[in-house]
Amino acid sequence: MASTVIGAGITVEGEITTDEDVVVAGTVRGKLSAKEGVTIEHGATVEADVSGGSLVVAGALTGNVTVTERVDLQQGARVIGNVKAARVTIADGAQFKGNVDMDV
Amino acid sequence: MAQTRTVTRSEGREARIGRGARVRGRIHGDGDLVVEGHVEGDLAIRGDLTIAEGASVTSKVVEAQTVTIAGTLEGDLAASGPVRLVAGARVRGNLRGSAVAIDDGARFSGRLDCEFELPPELGGTSRNESRGRTGAATRR
Repeated sequence: MASTVIGAGITVEGEITTDEDVVVAGTVRGKLSAKEGVTIEHGATVEADVSGGSLVVAGALTGNVTVTERVDLQQGARVIGNVKAARVTIADGAQFKGNVDMDV
Repeated sequence: MAQTRTVTRSEGREARIGRGARVRGRIHGDGDLVVEGHVEGDLAIRGDLTIAEGASVTSKVVEAQTVTIAGTLEGDLAASGPVRLVAGARVRGNLRGSAVAIDDGARFSGRLDCEFELPPELGGTSRNESRGRTGAATRR
């Protein structure tokens, strides 16, 4: 279980910094930095620049992403922003607008 | 459009600020919240709040329903339900709740504001109010 969970009814306006993982089911506006995995669940809204070890998106994300390992945009995801990661997958049914930088 | 269930949804799960996490900003909304890490900023939730041992909350105003504190709170607390300071808690600020319990070993510095029934021998003053209100309370 994730160490930090922003529940479905909760809104955080500001900056979240953690050296562990984060699951967002609610709303985050501002900045989100984790050392480990970040999960943006279906129904969640994130308007923030996101950094972390890896990122899974099934909800809505507006902001730039910088991740050391991989980014997975799952079906139903809606992402607007630039993504920088070593590996990126975009599933059928995911919406994405922005640049991908895999550091080739 | 078909609903996707590729990620386990966390409906009904509480919100938690983990031990290694720091939030700077405002947290609000519906649902219970457990703080194990650090929060700097206002906190207003319609749900129960737990400030765990080792956690710290620095806030102008904290609003919640039932509140349990085992960590550190700097700031005022306005709870619509009962408040409990367990052993090891450290609170600087004014407390308001439907009831306030301060356990042995909890440190509290501030004003205590809660409504309770005064025993008859204390209630027989000029004002026949059955509501009590404490002034500045300090317990260290």
